[in-house]
Parts: sequence; C-alpha cells; structure tokens
Amino acid sequence: MTPTVRPISADEHRAFIAGRSSASFLQTPAWAAVKSEWRAESLGWYDEGRLVGAGLVLYRQLPRVKRFLAYLPEGPVLDWAVDLGAWLAPMTTHLRSQGAFGVRMGPPVVTRRWSAAQVKEGIADEGVARLGEIAPLERSAAGARVIQQLEALGWRPQVSEGGFAAGQPQYTFVIPLVDDAGARRTDDDVLAGMNQLWRRNIRKADKAGVVVTQGRAEDLKAFHDLYAHTAERDHFTPRPLSYFETMYDALGAEDPDRITLWLAHHESDLVAATIAVRVGTHAWYSYGASSTAKREVRGSNAVQWAMIRDAMAQGAEVYDLRGITDTLDPDDPHVGLIQFKVGTGGEAVESVGEWDLPLNRVLYRGFELYLARRGG
Amino acid sequence: MSLTLTVDGERWRRHLRSVADADPGLVPVVKGNGYGFGITRLAQTATWLGVDTIAVGTYHELSAVEQAFAGDLMVLGPWRPTGPVAPESLAPGRVIHTVSRLADLLALLDRQPDARIVLERLTSMRRHGMSAEELRAAGRLLDQRPARLEGVAFHLPLAHGAHLTEVEHLVNDVVAAELPTRTLWISHLTPPELARLRASYADYDVRPRVGTALWLGDPGALRVTATVLDVHEVERGDVFGYRGRTVPKAGHILVVSGGTSHGIGLEAPIGDHSFKARAAAVARGGLDAAGFVRSPFTVDGKPRLFAEPPHMQVSMLFLPHGPRVPAVGEEVAVRVRHTATTFDRVDIS
Repeated sequence: MTPTVRPISADEHRAFIAGRSSASFLQTPAWAAVKSEWRAESLGWYDEGRLVGAGLVLYRQLPRVKRFLAYLPEGPVLDWAVDLGAWLAPMTTHLRSQGAFGVRMGPPVVTRRWSAAQVKEGIADEGVARLGEIAPLERSAAGARVIQQLEALGWRPQVSEGGFAAGQPQYTFVIPLVDDAGARRTDDDVLAGMNQLWRRNIRKADKAGVVVTQGRAEDLKAFHDLYAHTAERDHFTPRPLSYFETMYDALGAEDPDRITLWLAHHESDLVAATIAVRVGTHAWYSYGASSTAKREVRGSNAVQWAMIRDAMAQGAEVYDLRGITDTLDPDDPHVGLIQFKVGTGGEAVESVGEWDLPLNRVLYRGFELYLARRGG
Repeated sequence: MSLTLTVDGERWRRHLRSVADADPGLVPVVKGNGYGFGITRLAQTATWLGVDTIAVGTYHELSAVEQAFAGDLMVLGPWRPTGPVAPESLAPGRVIHTVSRLADLLALLDRQPDARIVLERLTSMRRHGMSAEELRAAGRLLDQRPARLEGVAFHLPLAHGAHLTEVEHLVNDVVAAELPTRTLWISHLTPPELARLRASYADYDVRPRVGTALWLGDPGALRVTATVLDVHEVERGDVFGYRGRTVPKAGHILVVSGGTSHGIGLEAPIGDHSFKARAAAVARGGLDAAGFVRSPFTVDGKPRLFAEPPHMQVSMLFLPHGPRVPAVGEEVAVRVRHTATTFDRVDIS
C-alpha cells in the first residue's frame, strides 16, 4: 500500500482522531491554537480515498531565513507497523514543498516498559544509575522495527533537552487503567497498586476534609496564582495565564471533556490545582500546582486520586503522568519527581523518542549549530 | 633440538582463571593451531576452567576436542548444506551450529529438526551472516518451525573501543526480529564495552567468545625458543646454503631449529596498516624472506639476520663478527605469531 499525503481541514482531522481509540493531545488540531506562534497544518494520509493517518505539523521558522523545521510532536498518528519508507516519503515531499529544511517527529511507539517495583529497586540499587540498566518487563519488537526503519531511512534520533524545539519526553510514567486482558481495573485495585505513602496521604486528605472539585474557565486565575507560587518555590519559569486560557478554550472547544481544571480546597484555601487532558482512552495529568502552606492536608494526593478516578469513570485506559528522566541516581534532583510518580504504581514507559530528517543539509547543519550555541 | 613453547604454567593458569572468573559467560575459542598450544590441550584446559561451552572454527576440528571437553561444542564457521558435518561419534545435542543464511536454516531444519542453532548477524566485517531483513524472516520461519535456537552471533572486526554503536544497531535488529532467544554470542568487545552492553540489555544473556585475549593474553607467561644445531665460522666470499650464496663478510653461520614447517618465515601479516609496520613485517621474515633480512630469532636480545630463506625445519642465520657466538645446544629466543606457528614441543610447567 502506498498512501498519498495532503493537507486536511481541522474538522477532518478532528473526526479522524475521534474515530481512533486515542492520540496524543499534541496531535489534535486544537493544539495548533495553543502553539499560535507557529504556523500549523493538518496533514492526512489517504489510501484509495480513505483517510488512514493524520498529523499536526508545526512550522518553526529558522531565524532570519524563511525556512522551517516541520515538527510533529508525539506524531503523526499512523499505524506504525507499516513500511515506513512508503508512508513517510509523501509526507517529507509535502513538507519540503512548504519550505521545511528538516522534519522532526516523535513516533508514539513504545520500546520498553518497567514496573514501578523495578524502578524502585533501581533507585535503591547503587549499581544502577539509569532506567535502561534494568531488565525491562517488556522490550517491544514493534518499537525496534520502527527504530530500524527510521535509521535505514536516514532519520536521526534526538537527545532532547530544552532549546529551540524543546523535545517531548522519551520516558513517561503511566498507570494502566485496564488489566493485561483489557478488563477495567477497579478503584480498589488501582489504590492497592499505590505505595503505602500514597494510600496514607489520600486517606489523610480525606480525613482532613480536603474537597476536590472541577473548576471552570474563571477559576484559571486561581490556578495560575498557585502555579506561579509553585514555580517560584520549585525554581522553574512559569507560563503566563494567557497560555492556559488559550489552551483551555482551544481544547475545550474541540471537545467539552478534553480539558479539565481540578481544584483541591481545604476549608477556604486552595491547596492544590491541576489541569487534566483526555483524548479518547488516554488521560494526562498535564500541569500541577500546590501551596506551600498546609502541605500536611495532602491536597496534591487528593487531586491526583480524583483525576485518576474520573479518568476511569470516563472510560480511559491509561492515566499518563507524563515525563520522567531516566536517572535512577538517588543524588539526582530529578529522582524526587520519579519517586512521586512511581508511588502511584503503574509503569515507566520508553518510546522511540524524537527523530529528525534533514531535508536541506546546509540549513539543517546551521540549525544544529544555532541550537548548540543557544544550549551553551 | 626443537622449536619449543615454554609456558609458565602457574602464571598462565592464573591469567586464564582471572579471565574466566571476570566473565561467567565466557566461551573459549579453540581453533586452528590452538593458538600454538594445540586444540586438544586447550579443550582440556577449558574443562579445567569449568566453562560450559567452547567454540571451534570448523566441523573438522570437532573430533580433536570431543573427548577432551564434555560440554557444548559451538562451530563458528557457518553450516552449509554442502559442507562437512559433525562426526558421528558426537552426540547431536552437543553441537551448536552457526547458521548464516536463510536457505541454510531451512536445509538444516529439514535435515535435523532438533538441531541447536545460533543465527549469525552480518556485521561490518561482512564475512558471514544474515541481514536485518533475513533475521526477521528467520524469526517468522522459527514461528512455524520450533527449533532449538540458542542465540544470535555477531563477529565484529578488530576495532577496539569502537563497537558499541554497531552492536546496539545489531541488537536492535535482534529485538525487531522477534526471535525466541535472549542470548547473544559476541566476539572482540573490550571489557568496558561488554559491561555497557550488558547494562543496556540486562534482559539478554551476553556470551563473549574469546580466543587470543584468553590464551595469549599474558605474553609474559610464554617463551618461545629454538635450539642452536650448528655453528660454522665463515670468511668473506665463502659459499653456503641451498642457493650457493656467498658470505658478504666474515662471521658465523648459525643453524637453528625452526623452519617453514613450523611457520617460520610464513607469518600471517600483522594488522597494522602503516607502511612502516608493513615494512617491519617483511623484515621480520614475511613471505619475502630472501636476502639478508631480519629474522625472528634473537641472540642476546638482538634480532639476527636470515642468511637465506628458512628451510623446512631449520633456519640459517648470519652472525657477523663482534657479538657472542652461541654454542651448539644453546637455546635462542624466537619471536613468533602464535596463531601461525607449529611448535615441536609445548612445555607447560
């Protein structure tokens, strides 16, 4: 089968994604509105008149030149168990015609999985510094075949760290909400998978009278105040309120259940707030904030548990806590975040990561140098 | 009266033991001339080391080791439908066949459905082996034909310290092929490379095949000597040798044990690519060992000149006046390539 690629409307794109079990929210047409500083385009793969794949392309301009890096974050949405040469060639031809000097994409294909218990043991084991040094639960042949084909087709794996096109994480932590046979897990089962600290904290929040509710657009200001406070405390650069307003409106307009604001109050104080996103059967914990005061009432645990239960009630099969680093070194500052996520039970998942295809060697090389200078 | 390999047994065995202890998955390679020791002796030594598998180069070599070693016998050379087979004396379950072509895999399974098989993946050496696509096809075939797949083999070129990227590509191909095995048989990785490979593929069993670094890994334990068989004082212009050459200046003709039948003067070229190194190889007595070129024999630590090309079992050296003249019966040191030398005697203390 040799598909063709052509631009599609946002409606066609939306309908295609709605007809699939799930796709990354970074591949929804609504995401284009969030990333409004870049030109976006929806692409469709057609086979004998039938739409069989879709991708959201963000065109990121190279400084001073009217040429672009075509970026498909966590996409495109394809059946990846195909002859990738035939599927990717018409895409790159199209992107080149649009002025792309290179393509970056992140095939949403799993390569390895590890259990929470394995990750925990890895952190405890002095001889293990990285996730990859633990024998995985599963090593995916499908993932290996995607890597094999991309290498053969001249794509280059990216080690993504900040910069011009801050990469999507290659390692994520997820809680499967269905068992291996595909049957829905119960609340009790998911709770039993969590570590003792998580269970105790959820109970503690309940006893302390923490109330978790879903917010509305007008509550974004309260979320953002708490988020800015968290950013100051945890030393990261906060995004402006307008970013979340755009995201909330754009994703909400696509599907009323796509984005949810969650608020955890203790008495009249907002102690934690989060943003959840869901596309089909995949639910994400996207942004979170927590107060420095009243940590003992465990608002963060309460709001996570509410989100997990809601995801299950909405028919989600995966609750995705998003990126982790692959470090298991207990002295690494990132390890605390991993430990927080690992406490929920679930699995660490590695995907094939992001890959680049240079279309214009000279400009691509210049782009790499530009990135290196920014990085340094 | 012979070309002798003298081994400091205690030191040699200590080295072997340390290599084996450092790597429980070690597969000693026992092939060809047995690295100078002889393959039967190495098979016995492998028994002493306690390993479960040894590797021979060809099917012809199996009969030399089958009594000396009771474990599994891997044949490194690829199985071919037209080639030699394992001797009938050998229990079929002891042999692990290396298969490097899809057609051969089919033929072998037709002939012996329960054959133990290792699939060889082609490496940058491009000697024998399957492509990534053939390996996948083999994976599909083995879905239908339940065989005793013992792993996948990589035979890497000798580029120390530079293999990891290639190996990672090759192992990814193994994962992609969905083969019902978790064993990798690998040659020529440095210990740090091996450690990193094992860390990245903790779910795989890595079995390094080691020959030179094992048997010849401690050169200080090995000494090669030849016997001085005769000494003739000569004057300038004297005629000597098979070819009736004349002596250029006064000195001594030394007749020592060790000739072409031992591999003297027929050394395999060493793998150094520089012109200087190649010139040095010739000077040490390569195939062009004609004229007065440097021989591998040393007297009092100094390399001596061949008086003429080596004979079948002895060599004639020219010793100008000046240095000490060794006596008949004395031993002189010889520098040889062990994988290309046949010793008259191997003395292991």
